[in-house]
Amino acid sequence: MRSYLLRRLPSALLVLFAASFLIFAILRLVPGDPATSLAGPDASPATVAAIRDRLGLDAPLLSQYAHWIGSLLTGDLGPSYAIGGDVSDLIGDGLGATTELTLAALLFVILLGTAFGILGATSRSRWIRSAIRVTTTAALAAPPFVSGVLLVVLFAVVLGVLPPGGRVAFFDAPDLAAQYLLLPALCLALPSAAVLGRYLKDGIERALAEDCIRTATAAGIAPRRLLWRHALPGALPPVVTLLGMQTGHLLGGAVLVEAIFAWPGLGQLAEQGLQRRDYPVVQDLLLLLVAAFVVVQLLTDLVHAWLDPRIRWE
Amino acid sequence: MTPTPDLAPASPEALPDSLRKPVGARKAVRPRHPYRAALSTARARTGLVLVGVVVLAGLLAPVLAGHGPTDQSGQSLAALGTPGHPLGTDDLGRDLLSRVLYGIRADLGIIAIAVPLGAALGCLFALAAAAHPVADTLVQRVFDLILAFPGLILALAVTAILGPGRLPVVLVIALAEIPAFGRLLRGGILVQREREYVTAARVGGSSGPRVLVRHILPNAADPLIVQIAVSLTVAVFIEGAMSFLGVGVRPPEPTLGSVLSQSMPYLDQAPHFAAGPLITVTALVLGLSLIAEALNRETRR
Amino acid sequence: MTELFPASPPLSPLPAGGPSRRTALRAAGGGSLLLGLGLAGCRSAVSEASSDPKKAAAGAAPKRGGVLSVAINADFTPALLFAQSGQSLQQRLIYNTLTRYDGDLTPKPELATSWTYAKDGRSITLNLRDDVTFHDGRAFTADDVIFAVKNLQNPVRAAQLRSTAAAVTGFEKRGDHELVLKLAHPVNNLFDLFEFMIITDEKTVEDAVTGKKLIGTGPFRLKKWSPGSGLTLTRNDRYWQPDRPYLDGVELRVIPQADALISSLRSGQSQLSFHVPGKSLGTVKSDPRLKITDYDTGAGAVYLGVNTTVAPLNDRAVRQALAWAIDRERLLAQTLGGYGIASAAPWPKSSPAFSEAHRTHYTHNPGKARELLRSAGHRKLELPLLHIALPGDTAIAESIQYDLKQIGVHVTLEPTDGAAAQKKLIAQQMPALWSMGHGFAQVQPSTLAVSAYPFNEAKNTSEYRSAAYTKVVREAWTKPESGVAGANTLHEKISGILLEEAFIIDLVVRGQVQVNADRLHGVTQNKFSYLNLDDAYLV
Repeated sequence: MRSYLLRRLPSALLVLFAASFLIFAILRLVPGDPATSLAGPDASPATVAAIRDRLGLDAPLLSQYAHWIGSLLTGDLGPSYAIGGDVSDLIGDGLGATTELTLAALLFVILLGTAFGILGATSRSRWIRSAIRVTTTAALAAPPFVSGVLLVVLFAVVLGVLPPGGRVAFFDAPDLAAQYLLLPALCLALPSAAVLGRYLKDGIERALAEDCIRTATAAGIAPRRLLWRHALPGALPPVVTLLGMQTGHLLGGAVLVEAIFAWPGLGQLAEQGLQRRDYPVVQDLLLLLVAAFVVVQLLTDLVHAWLDPRIRWE
Repeated sequence: MTPTPDLAPASPEALPDSLRKPVGARKAVRPRHPYRAALSTARARTGLVLVGVVVLAGLLAPVLAGHGPTDQSGQSLAALGTPGHPLGTDDLGRDLLSRVLYGIRADLGIIAIAVPLGAALGCLFALAAAAHPVADTLVQRVFDLILAFPGLILALAVTAILGPGRLPVVLVIALAEIPAFGRLLRGGILVQREREYVTAARVGGSSGPRVLVRHILPNAADPLIVQIAVSLTVAVFIEGAMSFLGVGVRPPEPTLGSVLSQSMPYLDQAPHFAAGPLITVTALVLGLSLIAEALNRETRR
Repeated sequence: MTELFPASPPLSPLPAGGPSRRTALRAAGGGSLLLGLGLAGCRSAVSEASSDPKKAAAGAAPKRGGVLSVAINADFTPALLFAQSGQSLQQRLIYNTLTRYDGDLTPKPELATSWTYAKDGRSITLNLRDDVTFHDGRAFTADDVIFAVKNLQNPVRAAQLRSTAAAVTGFEKRGDHELVLKLAHPVNNLFDLFEFMIITDEKTVEDAVTGKKLIGTGPFRLKKWSPGSGLTLTRNDRYWQPDRPYLDGVELRVIPQADALISSLRSGQSQLSFHVPGKSLGTVKSDPRLKITDYDTGAGAVYLGVNTTVAPLNDRAVRQALAWAIDRERLLAQTLGGYGIASAAPWPKSSPAFSEAHRTHYTHNPGKARELLRSAGHRKLELPLLHIALPGDTAIAESIQYDLKQIGVHVTLEPTDGAAAQKKLIAQQMPALWSMGHGFAQVQPSTLAVSAYPFNEAKNTSEYRSAAYTKVVREAWTKPESGVAGANTLHEKISGILLEEAFIIDLVVRGQVQVNADRLHGVTQNKFSYLNLDDAYLV
């Protein structure tokens, strides 16, 4: 196991290094810098020059890059340029909000996905099975900006029962926070819930079709017992892998969902940071996201290698 | 080797499907080609009709639209069914039917370039990966890198660098499609290479490239057909998302995403503003994913 | 969704007296949703605000206590603490200024109790309050004023009124509470500076511009700033105005999305906002528990900028043609919800330079515009127009584009993000046309020309320069404050040049619109949109 990890590690580090370089370069290619964005629309060139100087934007690019990597290695991310506050605080706050959203969405994914899967595979009613098929197809097909608009129209405009966007911190007022959380989490969860539901349904159907289960059915073991004791456990391992991957998708999708519902998470922070050319914030944040992706992928691989020993020796 | 990412679907439809009963199995004569069988299922037919209607409406936009898509008037936010404006007007008094129709056209134009471009680049990467183990490692890391980058943040940056217009939209879509095509083809080649008929051909004296072109590629490329259908939906998705973030095509040209995003501030006062683009996007994406699904089910059989 | 939220019948009894269908729907939906969450009986994030309108109207007497929540659309930017930024509400809550203008730009005492100009206008003597302490307990003295002025002279602070601060070249302290400021030359917008300049603690100024510590003399002290979420302020119990403020605290809550912001006002979660977009005000108007106040001081102006180095825009007649081509009234109605005034000149109604003749100098006259173009030798022009890629700005640009097309000027839009647009503006790299907003027309008219970069006589984005403009601007600026008599003629001259030369084509002076819950009273703002809550109270 350890040797497998050791073999995978260098390429993961390579991806991180390449990403850091790309992120740095792309930001420098974007026209405008933190100084101009800070100076404001009525500022004079002298003001901009003074701010550039203060932020160290006139230093050679290589030394700016080295300075950034240094700040990462020491763990002291320093102050943000344009947004204000320390980068680590900004990212910490955003991460809190995004985690909250992602966890809530994950909960929806598991609940809805399991319901779709089990009902879709075992329901006796044709009507329920088709309803689930239609729902999952629609949930999969609808991009978040479509389902988001629909959810806002339905719950915020027509019914007027949920706020159209914004966030209340969970520990300030959990009851209000939950209502703010509901729509964005649902919007984020729908496609992944549909994927999970279908996958689970297929897994259960396949397991139920296996010979041993047929034999068991013939032997008179209750179908419900078969489902919970045999078919479901058999369908689970790939579903766990899938869930890992979908968590990655959820994090990625969060950027757009946050924009639609004005949810102040990492996506909004990245967007705001980029708009204001807050180099440290965008650099650290993007690298963090890439790192998260790499780690999730590494973990998924490890789980797979653990489940399937052939991979380890390949 | 990283088995999971290779098997990983670029999107949900590419998931290995079950052994469920094929829809077309009852037919006495099975069509020779699996795609034809796939496209004759009810699922695919629904999809084809939906996509067909939307595409046709887009192509016929100059005939069907009663107004120019950018013609303004003093009549803001007219309701559905206003004489001359069946879908009403937007905040600047532009005819929404015309904007939706031309929006379809704009989307189709972008997709028609971006998806083939992404597919071609992805396949090139895959071929490079198949050629040499070192290239393979590099290519895989490139795919990782593309997948790891939050796409929409990249879209913001690319647009800021290149300036507004279709180019950044096309590039971002193409970039997003590369890993999916690349991984699929690479995986396909690896699988086919181990097959007996390939070994046989090689033992029989065929050269490496010849085996690749004559025997491996035709079989390995099969899943790509499904992926194209999937990619089309992803492209509609990305265009819309970019419009929502304000980095879509140059205004005042409408796209489905931009008309929808312009309607957002008016959801309360004029919900019908969102209706046209909402229905069209849904029909298009739903149709495309139905087709993808049908193809997927048949080809996986 | 169906699994989680079954469409159950409403559990709570409906209010008597025939509830509307919508209320019933809300109750039903809300009931089942809350049930689904296991939160039955809790507050709703969109429920009707708790206050009873009758009660609110009756209780008019000021009352101590309560925390006011203000909805803002963009967060406080500490790096811009000393500049005019999009978000200035917190300035007068945490800090004080030396003076404040009343409606017709007459300065009134704040931290300065009285002032005397020297006869030649080259110095001013300020008497300062002696009973003021900073939030950390230190007494306020003349040294704090000296620091405040010197601080604004530093270009890093990005203060738009730096030129005025820089005109102060000498400081003479007479005791702790009397100060003479010596000027390099007379300036007539010194009280704009006093209105603008917040008095901060010198020792902690570097912590202030990073948002770590904000120490002032104002009615509220900073409890916490959470970047992206907003500011939490608590009452300053040692405030120099006795028994003020009434409020126990203020929260500035960032809600970037307009829908969410309005919903927070309607649900009573926030009681005050200045950031409801004009086109959404229709929704707010129908709500009896919300009050809309429209100020005539203006919140900046929307303009069309012209790069005078791009042919044929170097021809004044072509620029004037553009000014005649735009339907300002339609722009105002369709993109700003009708809040503001269509105006060819930059001044809001409260400005001493405002005149109806200037406001309507250019009206919508495409015929005249085409004629001007033709006589200048053009039938069809193709020009790029840069605008900021935000929904509101894009709509404005599209509207301009359409109007210009009608006179044969075909415009290609270049949506650009804020930072890139800023860079081009300052570096004089704008394309032929651009549309944006400017401020600084609400105070002394001379401030516009010396402090707002697009209008700067020495160097501006349009690269417009003329001896006449420079002369009249400098004359207006350096005219001693006492000589009010000639001021009007000078304002007249500045407006005349701006309108005639049309290098900045003003379109709409935007309205400053306040939306507040009817249980909130006593809110005011200064000319730079600093929120003043000294006398505000909740009933």
